[in-house]
Amino acid sequence: MEVSPTRRLWMALTYVLLAVTAILMLVPFAYLVCSAFKTNDDVFRSTFLPAGEGLLGADWSRLTLDNFRRLFTEMDFGRHMLNSVFLASVTSILATLASAMGGYALAKFSFAGRAFFTNFVLAALVIPAAVLIAPTYQLLYWMGLLDSYAGLILPGIAPAFGVYLFRQAMINSVPNEVLDAARIDGAGELRIFFGMVIPLVRPMLGAFLLITFLGTWNNFISPQVVLQSSEKFPLSVAISQLKGVYSQDYALQMAGTLVSIAPVLCLFLLLQKEFISGLTSGAVKG
Amino acid sequence: MATTVRAALSPGGWVIVLLAGLSTLFVMARADTSRSGLDMWVFARPHHEMYLPNVESWNANQDPDLNLYLLSLPALERRMSSGFLSDTPVADLIEADVRVASRAFTGPLKDVGFLDLTDRIRESGIDEEINPPSFTPWTSRGRIFGLPHDVHPVMLAYRADLVEAAGIDVTTIETWDDFIRAMSPLMADEDGDGRPDRYLLNVWETQIDTIEAFILQAGGSYFDEQERVAINSEINAKVIATITTWITGPGRIAVDAQEFTASGNRLKLEGFVVASIMPDWLGGVWKHDMSDLSGKIKLMPLPAWEPDGRRTTVWGGTMLGIARSTQDPEAAWEIAKHLYLSEDLALQLYESNGIISPIRRLWSRDFYDVPDDFFQGQAPGRMYIELAPSVPRRTSSPFNQIAKERVRDALTRLREYAEQEQLFTVEALLPEARSQLEAAHADIQLRVDRNMFLKAGAKGQR
Amino acid sequence: MNTIVGRSRWTPLLFLAPFIVTFLLFTAYPLVQSVNLSMHQTYGPKTSTFVGSGNFTQLFSDPLFWKALGNTFLFALGSVFLQLPLSLGLALLLDRPSVRGRLLFRLIYFSPSLAGIVFVALLFGPIFEKNTGLLNVWLNSWIGFDLEFPWMERHVMTGLIVAGMWMYVGFNMVYFLAALQNVDRSIEEAALVDGAGPWQRFRHVTVPAIRPVAGFVVLLSIIGSFQLFELPFVLLNNTAGPDNRGLTVVMYLYQTGFEVGDLGYASAIGWSLAILLMILAVGLRLVLRRYED
Repeated sequence: MEVSPTRRLWMALTYVLLAVTAILMLVPFAYLVCSAFKTNDDVFRSTFLPAGEGLLGADWSRLTLDNFRRLFTEMDFGRHMLNSVFLASVTSILATLASAMGGYALAKFSFAGRAFFTNFVLAALVIPAAVLIAPTYQLLYWMGLLDSYAGLILPGIAPAFGVYLFRQAMINSVPNEVLDAARIDGAGELRIFFGMVIPLVRPMLGAFLLITFLGTWNNFISPQVVLQSSEKFPLSVAISQLKGVYSQDYALQMAGTLVSIAPVLCLFLLLQKEFISGLTSGAVKG
Repeated sequence: MATTVRAALSPGGWVIVLLAGLSTLFVMARADTSRSGLDMWVFARPHHEMYLPNVESWNANQDPDLNLYLLSLPALERRMSSGFLSDTPVADLIEADVRVASRAFTGPLKDVGFLDLTDRIRESGIDEEINPPSFTPWTSRGRIFGLPHDVHPVMLAYRADLVEAAGIDVTTIETWDDFIRAMSPLMADEDGDGRPDRYLLNVWETQIDTIEAFILQAGGSYFDEQERVAINSEINAKVIATITTWITGPGRIAVDAQEFTASGNRLKLEGFVVASIMPDWLGGVWKHDMSDLSGKIKLMPLPAWEPDGRRTTVWGGTMLGIARSTQDPEAAWEIAKHLYLSEDLALQLYESNGIISPIRRLWSRDFYDVPDDFFQGQAPGRMYIELAPSVPRRTSSPFNQIAKERVRDALTRLREYAEQEQLFTVEALLPEARSQLEAAHADIQLRVDRNMFLKAGAKGQR
Repeated sequence: MNTIVGRSRWTPLLFLAPFIVTFLLFTAYPLVQSVNLSMHQTYGPKTSTFVGSGNFTQLFSDPLFWKALGNTFLFALGSVFLQLPLSLGLALLLDRPSVRGRLLFRLIYFSPSLAGIVFVALLFGPIFEKNTGLLNVWLNSWIGFDLEFPWMERHVMTGLIVAGMWMYVGFNMVYFLAALQNVDRSIEEAALVDGAGPWQRFRHVTVPAIRPVAGFVVLLSIIGSFQLFELPFVLLNNTAGPDNRGLTVVMYLYQTGFEVGDLGYASAIGWSLAILLMILAVGLRLVLRRYED
């Protein structure tokens, strides 16, 4: 097909727009990456790379890996990373499973109270979490769950948002005929759910796993309230601990941030395809 | 069946499941260190490091054991507030700063989350040993809820290299007016970029702690000794009018080089600001964060607001409180005394953070006389100790933080007014300063009036 | 919508059980507590006085509450009318198969969501600061702009909207990309053959296909905006900014509840917000339904 000049112009314009936006999005990251490899003094002295004679007008010899070394030797970041992986993966799996089950029930069964529960889920979306902090804390104390991972994981098990998304996905991608046929064949309800329904909403599972994983990974307020032993802290809390009262180790904070972004970046790369198709199935009207 | 199982999740999903399985094994295999004894929360990493050897020797020789936890200040604040507000146990001992500790003082005295230490402090004579102003931020309605950690007197830190190169003699400076007069040659625009090469003082309308320090120095305050709102005083109006003339107009001498920010530190390193007010703890911060300034900084007592006026003020402060929920108040009290009254810790506190002890009998120790290269061989400890007795008293009001923010807003509006009306003298700005503070006063009063326990001041005990 | 009656009427309830149990325990119970609290004046854990609707009456005459509400509205407007169109625009650009490097661009736009809100403060300070901030330094060297222009003091809400845009534009773009999968390529090609211009194609082919998702994203965006708290809190150093220019409703709730210890008043703020959001959500559904018919 012949490419017309106007079409070329349009394409050029598209790339310019995309590139400019991309650069604007990346400037803060450039700052982050540069700072993570600098000494504290150099963080104050230059915005990106320390000025010097080398390539790009920078003094490359002033860059250092010291921040990362300190993170893993002095600050025990290996352990915090493990804690984060544990919290985020377990929470996201449980939340995804519970949301899928709840969404399935609301989408594919008719039972007394279904409309009530559906509206319930919708209403629960608008409750500001901050109202709940103090009463929830009291509850966790009564249940003996303070300073335990259970105290962090349990309240996050069945988010209303997830139930709602899965309800939409079930309506869109699980045909009733398949369920009917299976029931006639005598399949058990659990078998139907795990064997047939779950594979049908696979993209939504991937998308929601990613969303909850990211949310748990970056959450720092509730772990700060619930946990007190430093050996249990996830990365997000460990990094906010770096912001000291008597000292602000900027370079160290930046390095810590970089360390914490890397794993979720890999996860996003792994899951990004079904992230989009999953949201497609979850976001359509119902 | 195997294919359907695999089909349930994508490779990425299986990675998460795998991670969950492995990390669960690791976390479960990890011996959960169960602890007995008393818990203590601290919010400053240097304190944590400093206390650890001391705590270890305590645990080796005495009972019960003490477990030290380091939490960041916001984390400590959230946990403490959550515990106090829901009436659930917190750590037995809590180190808290001014802002965090005052949270505990909102309700009736019997409900304050900290143990009332007044009688213990009086019986053991600690009230005589410690510099009196150090008790004020932890004293609510006449009762003391914490053991003071510090005094935090304030001096003026200035770029001695710049000042001496310009041939300025700081010994002639007694008041802020003298300071501006003596230092003004440093503001020249020699590189011709249309703005001064440097500014004289680091203060800005948004620096709420600095503003409060200036007001306390001048003898003003936001709450009086009975914890009544006192924002609309004449002294406060005069201070904010004066600061307005410093930050805007032809007489501007100030620049915003906020502490704890990358940009603020950069301005200091580049010599864009000549002087900053410096409490004893801030010296330690500068040494750590801006080692390049070593040998370029000197300290002097703050210039006064009036001739013969107060040459210092106060900024910051920490206490050690015992939670009312503790199982063993006696042991907690012994530990508190052991930690806070120890001479070793006073020495470490000074050597690692530059902070002087509030215990007066330790002030004669000669480690406070050691010359410090960062300050061109001055002995900051001795200089701060000389000023310590004249540190002003402070409030413990839980509303102080909001009051500080309202005064900042008053100052912002006053600056805008000054620029609009082109009024840049203290006298011309005073009427507007008064009315802005009056508005801030009324707003805080409204909030305090909702609180039936504090509005009657010292009499409000029920 | 067609549904099935399971063999046992307990089946759906068993599937719903994890949600119901955690909801009752960790949301409903605290909520009931907070209704009770909102009718009391509280100071400290044990002392409270019943004030009935007193907290709400005071709230409606509290200028700070209105200011917080105004700021929050502004942020929501910014999200819906600036950020979402930008997200949609990026999604439209990226949806064209002829564009190369789509995966890379998508990753770049989404990347702020990987970083989390805590880091935004760390990253945005150096950009918006006076004297040394990138924005002022660049503007100063290009057009001689005032180096000391205080973005984060004078234009707090603008700063927050920009920061929010940076944070969330990529995430919402992914929703729109997902929605664009619903666009029927054959209809689009037919429209092209009929000689429809880009705007007409967008108006008559794309918009109808993405409308359901767009409604959902707008709703999420409004809910998210009205619960705005952490972003300004970390960006403004745990304060509401000069003259409360960055005060949001949830931040005001947090301040009164946790800084002053007035949990009763804080609960009243929370409930007012929840009720307002429910009204908005219902209103939005009605509006969208009218468009669908």
